[in-house]
Amino acid sequence: MLIFAISDKGGTGRSVTSTNIVYRHALQGNDVCYLDFDFGSPTAGAIFSVGSVARGTTRKGLHDYLLGEGAPEPHRVDVWTESDREGLRTKPPGAGRLVLLPGNEGGGELPAVEEETLRRCVQLFSRLDEEFDLVMVDVSAGRSFTAEMVLQATVRLPSVPFRWLVFHRWTRQHIIAADGLVTGADGLLDAGTRFGHKRDALRDRIRFVRTAVLEPDAAELVGLRDEQRAWLFACDTELRELASRHKVGRTSMLGKIPLDPILQWREQLISDEDVLASKIANAETAAAFDDLAKKIVDDAAWEGL
Amino acid sequence: MKLQPRQQLLEVWEAAARTSLRDGVWTWGGRDGSNSISDAEQLLCFMHPASELPGFRLDAPDETADDVLTALSRLGDSVEIPKLLLKVIGEYLRTYTGDDGRPLFSGGTYFSTADPDVKVTPEQMQLDVVDSFSMSVTLMLGTLGFLKVFRQSVRREDIRKEIRELENMSNTRLSAAMVGLLRSFTVNAFDPGSPAGRALLRTVNQTGAAERRVLDDLRRELRPVRAGLRDLTIGSGSEVDLDNENLLFECGWTWGIVKDAPDVVTPLHVGPQPKGVAADNPFLYFTVNALVGVQDLWSERTRILGLLDDDQLTLAQALQRRWDITQRYWRTIAMYGKGTWPLEDIPWKTSDEKESEYYSLGVTAMVVQSLVNNRTGDVDLGRVADVLEELAIRARIIRRAVPGDLPVLMHSPGVQVNLQGSDSLGPHMVWVVSDFAITLLKRTIWAASIAQNTRTREKLLSLADRIWRHIMQRRGTEGVGRGLWDQPANVFTDLDAHHEEPSWYFSERVVEFLVAAAQASGDSPLRSPQLVDFAYQMLSEAEHLLDQELVTRPLITGQTIQPKLRSIQAALNRARLIISSRPATANALVIDALLDLERLTTARDSASEAI
Repeated sequence: MLIFAISDKGGTGRSVTSTNIVYRHALQGNDVCYLDFDFGSPTAGAIFSVGSVARGTTRKGLHDYLLGEGAPEPHRVDVWTESDREGLRTKPPGAGRLVLLPGNEGGGELPAVEEETLRRCVQLFSRLDEEFDLVMVDVSAGRSFTAEMVLQATVRLPSVPFRWLVFHRWTRQHIIAADGLVTGADGLLDAGTRFGHKRDALRDRIRFVRTAVLEPDAAELVGLRDEQRAWLFACDTELRELASRHKVGRTSMLGKIPLDPILQWREQLISDEDVLASKIANAETAAAFDDLAKKIVDDAAWEGL
Repeated sequence: MKLQPRQQLLEVWEAAARTSLRDGVWTWGGRDGSNSISDAEQLLCFMHPASELPGFRLDAPDETADDVLTALSRLGDSVEIPKLLLKVIGEYLRTYTGDDGRPLFSGGTYFSTADPDVKVTPEQMQLDVVDSFSMSVTLMLGTLGFLKVFRQSVRREDIRKEIRELENMSNTRLSAAMVGLLRSFTVNAFDPGSPAGRALLRTVNQTGAAERRVLDDLRRELRPVRAGLRDLTIGSGSEVDLDNENLLFECGWTWGIVKDAPDVVTPLHVGPQPKGVAADNPFLYFTVNALVGVQDLWSERTRILGLLDDDQLTLAQALQRRWDITQRYWRTIAMYGKGTWPLEDIPWKTSDEKESEYYSLGVTAMVVQSLVNNRTGDVDLGRVADVLEELAIRARIIRRAVPGDLPVLMHSPGVQVNLQGSDSLGPHMVWVVSDFAITLLKRTIWAASIAQNTRTREKLLSLADRIWRHIMQRRGTEGVGRGLWDQPANVFTDLDAHHEEPSWYFSERVVEFLVAAAQASGDSPLRSPQLVDFAYQMLSEAEHLLDQELVTRPLITGQTIQPKLRSIQAALNRARLIISSRPATANALVIDALLDLERLTTARDSASEAI
């Protein structure tokens, strides 16, 4: 299955959330791979703590492959062996493969969608889908040629199931923008329909993921004054109404990731050691990733109303 | 125990969810078995708060509150809950529709006989009953509103189809319930010299006036009611001869469809209209029951959501006229005369010479309703408050019961109402009513919500608190029915009946009460003009002192006023903003500001004391 991760704006935590989802999915025993299609800033390597590709690869990366610059296969990184983090270096028993396909260091956004590029993209997806249980594609923020390319590619791969995750933060602007990205003019639905997707069918394959959510009853808020908490609660209610108006509400949400200090300061994978041994991460955060990793392939969670 | 409607309702929901969904299967029926009323009551335990209170909505999955979801977590998440409700409402509607497409309003297991050895015949079980009409009106209006809103968040065709189907069935059932109510309305005319006439005259004549004068006066008072009744066209109760001014009469609802009631002609699809057997004279209990139920037909919610179509509106209008007339009739009787009201002469005696506190309670419903409509002063409401308190005492709700106390029987097993006319199909049936305590509480909180006078309101609220404590003690604490009602043996030591299953009959009424209480707490607080006036005076002193402070203080260039003064100013501005809606709060702000100002003055005074 192909999963496309997109967000309305930069800085939503799209990359860090989607990497954590594939990591959890691998821990659950599935072979997964992660494609860094965020060509403008290919930093997935840093999140996986693979120093050699922290800012993209210097070998033949996804750029070279798609633009046909002499690479029959893009560079692959096996996270379980190449990560610099001690905790990630050994594959836990029972876990599946965890492979990263980094972008090129110093690459740039796609200039346009050429037929040749598209053909290569289709080929790549089809190959990877056969090899892996789950292929996570990190599409850059906002409307881009990359997004158009993958929309077109999925039209040509009718037998490969795919789903979209739209990441947004829990604020007024992000809620409106997330809705705009999907339903707005030239948004995902418009563009998808233009390329031959059925609008309603495509819509059923799109779900929202809220990131950095501060719940009014969260443990972090214990230190707040009562007035601040009352205010927060009122704001949350208002946001909820707004989200529902913009069809970004609970029914179209796949999950939410609580605000976690560790993700604020350093974008990284949250391992069980971080939660249980060093206790630098919150258990709720890891649980939220775990839950999303399960729901992402659970048809019941995508059934909807 | 202070009443906290939201928390209590969530607790009830949690308990109702646990009792209804056993091992993942929806279980109908409680202590008294499953029938068209009990099942409606079970559904209303969920649907009533969901349709009346914004914080309890289940129809918009995106907006369901988190604590609501936690309480109902057994039923699923925000998407599964409305889907489950669709399923069980569908089940209810299909179960209670006959093969010929006629909605069924049978009393079923709620019917019994006075003699426990004699069984109700299957034919009798099928008889329609006013309780079911009334409950169905409420449930169907709730369902229609729920479906209307829920539809907006659904895109899947199979669910949309089910929603359309349920809407059709709900509309049919609603229309049929209205037709049923129109066919069970009755007017009973009698001679003043007959036993019924004598009983009525005795009830109204509280001052011992000459009978002839009372009779003349009563006739005059009832003239508008008589005129209204004469104009009734469709349904039962329209063929009684009221032209004879010498006759006295009473009007209201009997227990089921009146014997030989004419069919109601309507273009609506309601299936064949069944023949009735009920005696053609009003029953106080069923009259109140019908009056409360049909009110939902013209509530604000029904109008705003546009739940009725034109043909249904015609029926609703016919019912509204009966509602008005009946209300007026009973209010006239209950508050007749210049001395003691007949209502205050507890217990009320009906025209068939039955006496019970139950009847007094029924009549208070109509009196309170008329006070709501007529905005009568609090003097009248104070008298009603006394009646309610007296009833609570007599029913041993706010007084301890001694061994062998008869009023305890009113709560368990309950008061038997003879269903006259039912014997044409088998043994004589009775209807057992045991909701005295909760109905009394409902009336009390209702009266409190319209009180304008702080003392009357306080009195009613404290009475409500005491009755609520009694009700809470009667809540089940173990077994499948824990968290629901009713276990009277918890309070009345005389009783040893312990029930495993909950009574949806009682629980639904508790939910109704909690919803009413939650609605009442949403109103703005009671304010007296004196308090507002006082707050204004305080505010003006504070503002004056602040101005003085600003004038005497030397101004240094580049510096605005001190933070302290700014915060005082902000507090006073806020106070002025809320002074008419919350005078006491404004006053508290002003007092705080005054104290701050006073500290500044004191400090200055002590500085000038230096020699």
